[in-house]
Amino acid sequence: MIDYVGLMADNLLYLLLIVVGGLLVAIGVHFVPVGGAPAAMGQATGVGTGTVQLAAGAGLTGLVTAAAVMRVADDMLLVIASGMVGAMIMIGSTMLVGNFMYIYGVGVTPASGKVKYDPITKDRQDLYLSQGTEGHGVPTSCYISGIIGGGLGGLGGAMVYFALLSVTNATTALNVIGLASILAVAIFFINAVIASYNIGGTTEGFIDPKFKRVPKAIVASIVVTFLSAIMSIIIIGGI
Amino acid sequence: MAAGGEPKKVKSAIPPKTMIAFGLIGGLIGVYAGHFLSDMFGPVLSFFGALGAICAIVWGADTVRRVCSYGIGTGVPSIGMLAIGIGIVAALFGLAVGGIAGPIIAVIVATILGLIIGLLGNRLMKMGVPIMETATAEIAAAGTITIIGISTAMAGTFEITGIIDNVIANGFIAVVFIVGAIAILHPFNANLGPDEKQDRTLSVAFIDGSIAMILAGIVVAGVSLASAVPAILIGLAIWLFAFAKYLGYVKRDAYKVVGTGLLPTEEELS
Repeated sequence: MIDYVGLMADNLLYLLLIVVGGLLVAIGVHFVPVGGAPAAMGQATGVGTGTVQLAAGAGLTGLVTAAAVMRVADDMLLVIASGMVGAMIMIGSTMLVGNFMYIYGVGVTPASGKVKYDPITKDRQDLYLSQGTEGHGVPTSCYISGIIGGGLGGLGGAMVYFALLSVTNATTALNVIGLASILAVAIFFINAVIASYNIGGTTEGFIDPKFKRVPKAIVASIVVTFLSAIMSIIIIGGI
Repeated sequence: MAAGGEPKKVKSAIPPKTMIAFGLIGGLIGVYAGHFLSDMFGPVLSFFGALGAICAIVWGADTVRRVCSYGIGTGVPSIGMLAIGIGIVAALFGLAVGGIAGPIIAVIVATILGLIIGLLGNRLMKMGVPIMETATAEIAAAGTITIIGISTAMAGTFEITGIIDNVIANGFIAVVFIVGAIAILHPFNANLGPDEKQDRTLSVAFIDGSIAMILAGIVVAGVSLASAVPAILIGLAIWLFAFAKYLGYVKRDAYKVVGTGLLPTEEELS
């Protein structure tokens, strides 16, 4: 029989790290400019795919980067920072290539439909909108927002992975790596979908009015990640 | 607004309750049969786990079509990923603590987690989808049985040590993850629209489920070569049958099916 109380007491720090990591993923998704199907047709701002796919692409790259660095370094901060940078590079290149497509392929200027002036460059936005669209491409503010979101997502994913990997257990390292990575991916996806539900599938990042809904996602994410974290620790610690 | 169009309640020839019974009972019977029969008669019979997974996949796909036709706004794939995300956590937890009752505990845990996420989505985040709570619980349970079913077919057992050695430590769990998620989300994603029909969508669910079964067969070859053969052959048979059915439904629902011929040559164009 597994000693649940002892297990939780031993891994309280990791439980906290997993919850914070999941929370960072949920917040990070709110920063990533996703436009969904309308953006794929150049009718809305953001990259033309779903929140979950975009967050997963960046977050999983972060996980892989973190795991690769973990092979050669044992420092928690270094591992987590590399996960963060990996995710930022991935989301950055996705948005950059997406912008190339919109500018040179579709022939539209990156412009936001939600704000009149870009808060960072102060450029006028509404003049460049095509009629009947809600913006197109990834303008500067959205791009910077996306980089922040990718960073938060990668940071969160790497934190969850590191915490799961460090849970005290009685099994071999190879088994723990498999369990920790798939559970980290699962917790990542659960939080990405919760955040995605919160923004209704599309957002322009921190300039979007929907960004004010973040507190709701924080509550939901804490509840769900806490439950998942307890189960994950029992899985890894119990075998 | 989702690509499915105006929020509406879909028409179902097969009522949801029947689908729940089919997925839950069929799935659990498959999982237990895969476990005990491989115990008694060798891993040749582990393919029953994949049959259970197919039942759960069909149930999950039906739930996805019911909830997504309300227009959840985030795209159909997100809900499939959620199903498998909860499924992984719940399945491994159930198997780790439950022993022989593992799959049942996993399904109960998944249902509770799904209900909580559905409640948070509807009450806290105001998604406004009437069946969100029950639907999320259903897809979570379906995702859990899918994970356990495919894993059982791959490992020949659902004991956590066997699953860890044969599915998780060697990384096949990543394949289980994505093939399970795709199988649950793809049927409705491929068929959505105003002319979506339940039988056509579910025939794609059978196609996707059989592909998962074939994959499980390929993986189980690592445990014992003999057990790979029935899983792959039965999977192929289900795939052929379901694909023929699907083609029939497409021809039934299409206004007209015409052949375009080969691409015109350069002389014909000029």
